[in-house]
Amino acid sequence: MLRNLRGFICHSLKLERGCALHTAHRDGLSSVSSPERPRAVFHTSESDPAKHTEQHEGRLYNIPLEEVNAVFPHGLPHRFQQQIRTFNEARVMVRRPALELLGYLKGSNLRHPAVRYVIYGERGTGKTMTLCHVVHYCSRQGWLVLHIPDAHLWVKNCKELLQSSYNKDRLDQPLQASVWLKNFKASNEHFLQEIKTQKKYMWGKRESTEEGRPLREVVEQGLARARSACDAVGVLLKELKLQSHRGSFQLLVAVDGVNALWGRTTLRKEDKSPVCPEELTLVHNLRKMLRNDWSGGAIVTTLSQTGSLFKPSSAYTPQELLGKEGFDALDPFVPIPVPNYSPREFESCYSYYLERKWLQHEKARTEDGKAELQFLSGSNPRQLDRLAGPL
Amino acid sequence: PCRDTARALGSSPASLAPCRIMPVRWSRYNPSYLEPEVKKESYQKPLEELTEEERELMELKAVRPIKAAPPTLSSSVFSDPMISKFTNMMMKSGNKVLARSLMSQTLENIKRKQLEKYHKAPENEKETIECNPYVIFHQALKNCQPIIGLSNITKGGKTYQVPVPLTDNRKRFLAMKWLITECRDNKHRRTMMPEKLSQELLLAFNNEGPVIKRKHVLHKMAEANRAYAHFRWW
Repeated sequence: MLRNLRGFICHSLKLERGCALHTAHRDGLSSVSSPERPRAVFHTSESDPAKHTEQHEGRLYNIPLEEVNAVFPHGLPHRFQQQIRTFNEARVMVRRPALELLGYLKGSNLRHPAVRYVIYGERGTGKTMTLCHVVHYCSRQGWLVLHIPDAHLWVKNCKELLQSSYNKDRLDQPLQASVWLKNFKASNEHFLQEIKTQKKYMWGKRESTEEGRPLREVVEQGLARARSACDAVGVLLKELKLQSHRGSFQLLVAVDGVNALWGRTTLRKEDKSPVCPEELTLVHNLRKMLRNDWSGGAIVTTLSQTGSLFKPSSAYTPQELLGKEGFDALDPFVPIPVPNYSPREFESCYSYYLERKWLQHEKARTEDGKAELQFLSGSNPRQLDRLAGPL
Repeated sequence: PCRDTARALGSSPASLAPCRIMPVRWSRYNPSYLEPEVKKESYQKPLEELTEEERELMELKAVRPIKAAPPTLSSSVFSDPMISKFTNMMMKSGNKVLARSLMSQTLENIKRKQLEKYHKAPENEKETIECNPYVIFHQALKNCQPIIGLSNITKGGKTYQVPVPLTDNRKRFLAMKWLITECRDNKHRRTMMPEKLSQELLLAFNNEGPVIKRKHVLHKMAEANRAYAHFRWW
């Protein structure tokens, strides 16, 4: 009895209930976690990113699985998706760069031109997860999220390259465009119904979309006819850009691997000459979107060396990865560095793995094992994940 | 330079022909060289707790030279000699990096499959499901080890399959070899090795699967040939 009282006092002092709701959910009980389990400290029951503050730093918050399917049809890293399937829950760590970004977004004036944020850092430090945290916040706040999961997929390994019907110099990528349109439609259904087109668009000789029709028809046109998928994407981006300043919706443009747009491609035309990124319709339209000549939203981007082409593996700064052209195009931007885990975040991640029974090796539970994991991974989140896999 | 490497290795060749390539892989150390001690616990013991032999060993180590530690010897708490042996047997043309990554992916695969089963199982069955990939690996290997083997003995012009006891090393080797060959030969071409191996290990852990069947076939052959057991002379 006394122990439970002590637990309640501790919890009220902590200002929020760090209760292990997931175990409670599993056992079907609605009790607060007992204070004998210090591991539960590293979870937080606050699943709304808008309420995350510095107190939640280092803790893991839960995203309900239905929300994951609705908000992230295509955004999450592959290893994290596997983790969601194995643990049956999606837990994201609240970290300082994400809190910083959320603070800027909360305080930004949407009547001013869109501010560009570039999240950069070394390999495997959590840039994509920071972006996903921000996307979750924006979708909770009701923003329209334009999430491009990996811009590198648009500049390499493209099986079909068609000549664009709109502009003879450019090249279309029907497969990539239709995949992206499908995922975009899945995450932003209600917005597509409300926003109307402002111009008449002709898709070839016979089909057209009148003025004042909902944007859903543009997307469906792109999905139905693969040839005009890229043009549909271009129309969508143009309409969103024109209408965002009115204030009826806030637009978030989230691009992962933005350095792909200003690098080189591995694609070749039929005469074996290399393709420049600006010759691709998708890249051209996305570049126009990333300019800060529109208002009513924000642009959050991530640099990524992992999928990048012709860049050395030690490059991680914006100058190195974007090159001169990209840096000038994105300048001015707010850089947000993402470091490796702090000791507290490492503790939190380690305890989470122990608690979900991910670390099965007997020695992993000892102090020696923990010290070895910290040393071998260098507190790098990706290395820790890779190391903890077989253990 | 040849003479310097020879002196460094401590070997004492009978003749030193100038500029001859020195054998490195099976280089013979001088018998005075001692084995390296990798375990952290042995260095953390205070002086009083050591027995007489250990004190003598420590004094000897202060004077004698020590052999170079081989790259497979690790002071990590997570290193396991059986897993290293299995990784070496899986390795092709010296690509240890690939073999090791395949091994870690296999262990992760086993863990994921078992954890998914664990989370979906009802409460009373949760304790029966084993999620530790190392326990599963060791138990699977133990289940695959044959007790008795067959050896070819030629007597009077004819070769007979004679049942013969196996050493521990031979049993372990046969178990690992059968697992690897089963995965390499009898599976679909496009399945990845970690996937195949994790499947085989889980089946062997439950005493099912083609490797256990092969072990039983060997036992039956030995039982059938027990009339020739007296041909063995060792």
